[in-house]
Amino acid sequence: MAKQKSREIFSMGIWLDNPILRQLIGICSALAVTNLMVNSLVMGIGLTFVTAFSSLTISAIRHFTPKHIRMMVQVLIIAAYVIMVDIFLKAYMPEMSKALGPYIGLIITNCIIMGRAEAYAQKNPPLPAFYDGVANGIGYTGVLLFIAFFRELLGFGSLFGIQIFGDWWTAWTIMIMPPSAFFLLAIAIWIAYNLREKYQSEGAKS
Amino acid sequence: MKKTFWYPIVFMALLTAIFTFVLAYMDYATADRVAANEEYELQTKILYVFDIPYEDDSVEGVDQLFNEKISLEDDVYIYQEGDSTEGYAFPVAGSGLWGSIVGYVGISEDYNTILGLTFTQQSETPGLGGRIEEEEFLSQFRGLDIADASEEEYVVYSPAPGGNVDAIAGATLTSKSVANFMNDDIHSFLQERRGE
Repeated sequence: MAKQKSREIFSMGIWLDNPILRQLIGICSALAVTNLMVNSLVMGIGLTFVTAFSSLTISAIRHFTPKHIRMMVQVLIIAAYVIMVDIFLKAYMPEMSKALGPYIGLIITNCIIMGRAEAYAQKNPPLPAFYDGVANGIGYTGVLLFIAFFRELLGFGSLFGIQIFGDWWTAWTIMIMPPSAFFLLAIAIWIAYNLREKYQSEGAKS
Repeated sequence: MKKTFWYPIVFMALLTAIFTFVLAYMDYATADRVAANEEYELQTKILYVFDIPYEDDSVEGVDQLFNEKISLEDDVYIYQEGDSTEGYAFPVAGSGLWGSIVGYVGISEDYNTILGLTFTQQSETPGLGGRIEEEEFLSQFRGLDIADASEEEYVVYSPAPGGNVDAIAGATLTSKSVANFMNDDIHSFLQERRGE
């Protein structure tokens, strides 16, 4: 039973109820950091960590938290975990910390974390809340990597900093600029929507 | 759920205290490491400005070489080879397209040649303005002769008359801003030095 439930949580967070493709939250950072695969990956890991542990903490103290100040408590917990990620990157991955710059601090404002805290962690036991955070983080990271794959490949001719295309490749400048993320994100949402429709109509038939 | 007046206040204060304590401890535990990272980065950049080659790029190796050849006076780095002074590196700064840009310019001891340029802080568009940090752009400033430069026109982009450096295509604003603040800061540095 418990196993089935955690499977359900993961399939919801990663695909069926994917934060970006379905809930349409956390888009701001999806547009900002996706011009390099490495940046997207570290951002995704950072967000997964923060969402998972803030959900865990919020869920663990949910019975003691007075209802009317719960938002304050959530923001405090989220901010604390974001600062931990920031300190960790500064100390052990200085290059990455420089590349991501202000975006790490801005994880605080990522709607996914608050969204999951309010929608899930506030009402469920700690462990499922933790899984829910991880699942949503993975769903977010997946979409970021999908967008970054095309942006880095077409914009720089490389993947994870490794040159794929030779000198003959003319880099698409627009892919590096923010507007391309809008196109790619819209295309990704469109594809996901169609796949889901197809999947659901097939499910209904059988 | 408790509904007293004091409960939420005490709860919040307690929670804040716990998290503040944890964060303060993490910050304290990593402070030395963060400072060392920053120091190392600055040292490698100053060595780059003076074009001093180094084989041993470990933290200790760079630190030893740095202390051997470079000293700091106010905010100007002085490069000495044996007893003779080879050049100076001074900070330049200005605003770019998205945020402020900070860097160092190395200048020869006779103030006639730019030895090199580096940026320590910039937040320009990656792949466009961000390319000011790439070797292709920075290497143009190596050994740039500014002895005959007219007043406050040390860095001029080609193909303008007297152009000595290529700007970055697609990053006009960043390029312009870099040339502007470099010219300003080089000028005031030279005036100060020649005035002495």
